[in-house]
Amino acid sequence: MNASEQQKLADLLARARTGSLEAWGELYREFAAPIFRFCRRSLPAREDAEDATTEIFMKVREKLGQYDSSRPFQAWLYKVAANHCWDMLRRRRIRQDLETEGVEEMPLEHPDPSQLDRLLEERSSQDMREALAKLPSRSRMALVLRYYTEMSYDEIAESLGVRRNFVGVVLLRARHQLREALAGQSNSQGAAAGRGQ
Amino acid sequence: MSHFDREIRGHNEGHVDEMSCLQYLEGLLERPRALELSAHTEQCADCRALLRTLERETKLLSFALREQEEPVPARLLAGPARERTPWGWIVSFGLAASGAYWVWTSIIDPWQAQMAQAGFGGSDLLSTLFIQGALLKGWDTMWTMVQALAVVSLGLVGFLLLRRTLRRWNTIALMMTVIVAALALPLGVSAIECHRSDTNYTLPADRVVKDDLLVTGQTVRIDGTVDGDLFIFGQNLTVNGHVTGDVISAGSMLTINGTVDGSVRASLGVLNIHGKVGKNVMSFSGTILTESQSEIGWGATLYSGDATLEGRIGRGITGRMGHASLDGFVGGDVSIKAKDSFDVGPQAQLLGKVQYTGPSQPSVAVGAKIANPIDVNIEAKTSNPDYIFSGMSLWHKLLFWGASFIFGLVLLFIAPGFFNETVQTADRFGVSLGVGALVMIATPVLAFIACLTVVGLGIGISTALLYIIAIYGSKVFFAAWLGRGIFNWGRSKAGSSGPSEHQSFRTVTASGAMVGHMALGLVILYVIRMVPYVGIWLAVMGAVWGFGAMSITLFDRMRHGSAAIAA
Repeated sequence: MNASEQQKLADLLARARTGSLEAWGELYREFAAPIFRFCRRSLPAREDAEDATTEIFMKVREKLGQYDSSRPFQAWLYKVAANHCWDMLRRRRIRQDLETEGVEEMPLEHPDPSQLDRLLEERSSQDMREALAKLPSRSRMALVLRYYTEMSYDEIAESLGVRRNFVGVVLLRARHQLREALAGQSNSQGAAAGRGQ
Repeated sequence: MSHFDREIRGHNEGHVDEMSCLQYLEGLLERPRALELSAHTEQCADCRALLRTLERETKLLSFALREQEEPVPARLLAGPARERTPWGWIVSFGLAASGAYWVWTSIIDPWQAQMAQAGFGGSDLLSTLFIQGALLKGWDTMWTMVQALAVVSLGLVGFLLLRRTLRRWNTIALMMTVIVAALALPLGVSAIECHRSDTNYTLPADRVVKDDLLVTGQTVRIDGTVDGDLFIFGQNLTVNGHVTGDVISAGSMLTINGTVDGSVRASLGVLNIHGKVGKNVMSFSGTILTESQSEIGWGATLYSGDATLEGRIGRGITGRMGHASLDGFVGGDVSIKAKDSFDVGPQAQLLGKVQYTGPSQPSVAVGAKIANPIDVNIEAKTSNPDYIFSGMSLWHKLLFWGASFIFGLVLLFIAPGFFNETVQTADRFGVSLGVGALVMIATPVLAFIACLTVVGLGIGISTALLYIIAIYGSKVFFAAWLGRGIFNWGRSKAGSSGPSEHQSFRTVTASGAMVGHMALGLVILYVIRMVPYVGIWLAVMGAVWGFGAMSITLFDRMRHGSAAIAA
């Protein structure tokens, strides 16, 4: 975001904080799409993402007065969104924890670069998103926070409620789980091709 | 061996571990360690390859996450609705008035005209259902008709549900066409003899009418025989003769001295029965008197100000009255709710169970024969201010509050997004009130019209049930809105800053806050309702308000949902 855009955003925020509906509307239209995409990546269903987007903006509107304008607005917005989505996921977590029991203890093997290269070969973004959707909530959320919102490890630690030193491990495990999901796709595609012949 | 060699690559057969590679790529390694890793990868092809592959994986992942592969729902892109309160208010009330006018001119007035002209021939389904249905001919006929309609409707609805290829609006259009066609469908002519008179009409004693007879007039006397149903409307109505079917009546006063083989259904100022009614009496009347020589073969369902029942009633009595007096024979159970008092006279013979609800103990005369002890439930008059604040009333209020609260919690749990949106929509109070009034009036009318059609019976009944639930639920949304407003006002007065930015919203979730707002709002709503006279109107206004907000939110969701699908 260049200086003029930053200034425009600052003006918009200032007006929105004074209660200007017009400014709030502009702010909403500016950020609704990226926040929806963030929710779409973080939450399992599209309907959840739609509801979450609406709720996040309600929270933002309610708490706009508490925003510290010396910090980037997008970072604050994503932090609110992350907390909201993580809260939603935590409510459903008991069941999911049972499903993913034992994953945390799984040993991580040192990757073979050539093998990993083959796995990534001709992988589309769609394949990647489908694999991502199969990950446990925390792993998916960690990857989204890091590679979509570009949050720092400190911010991710705060959002996910884990120690800062543990964030790297969470991300690493998430990548391994993602590779397994991608490998699973390859196997099922291979099996389907075999049946077709 | 350097620090890096010892700590980072030790267990990977002299290669850099994956975690360090990732942190290096993301610029998170401290500078000395990053330099060491960089130097190592210049010499180690495997580690260089790993770095390259991980970087590729990161890019692929980032791109997949950021790609805009699916459209954002239109309702989200549309943005928050702007305040247009005055126009919305005016338009909504205008529409409500237009709707009411349309209903009157298109449905009620023509139907009344048909009745006035006494031409049941060429009647449509609407009037047929009224005339041949529950209101006039009894529930047996109505039930048969409902069963037939239900079977056909289920078949058609099943057919429509199976046709998934039909798009929603096509289906609705088809349904509307069928409804209109069914309403317009002329049915068979009913045989009926009609007499309209501005003054008097008398059916002579030696005259026999072999069809149904409809008579209107100031003074109407039926001395002869009607071999069918008798529809009789006027001021002074007297049946001295014999009616083989039912008597359906509305007017000032009806006296039955003769014999009615069927039932009497009436809405009158005074209903006076001296003679004999073969089946049931259902009456909404100011005063009801059944004299000692009168006889009702089956039961009586009575809603009246003053009821004096001295004759013989074969089965039971059910009703709500101001004052009730029983001084005759009743073969079945009696269930009476009296606003003022209940007397049992000396000639009374009550064979069944007697349940009575009223403000005081019933007065039972010596000589009354009562098979079972009267089950008395004393219920104070609700208009008494002492009652309003009595323990029992407050307990009831608490129970009602609890029921509403649990209902709201369930709603919030099932559809938190919808709940929040509705509460937010309630900020637009004018539009919410207007739309609420419009939809509250229009929905039952449309549901009723749908019920009259073969295809729409299921939809009509479902709509009616949802309508009742929605009416109940509307106060929950209004209460949540009210509670939120008061909470925010109180907080601004207290100067509370709430949770800090860093705490964000983790400690105070939207749902948690909403539960609190709803609880507070419901308490206030129930307190308001305790205020005599004004309270009930304020509560009704709140319900309309909440209903409107709910309707607008539903409409928005449907509209934007359709838009997103189209996009």
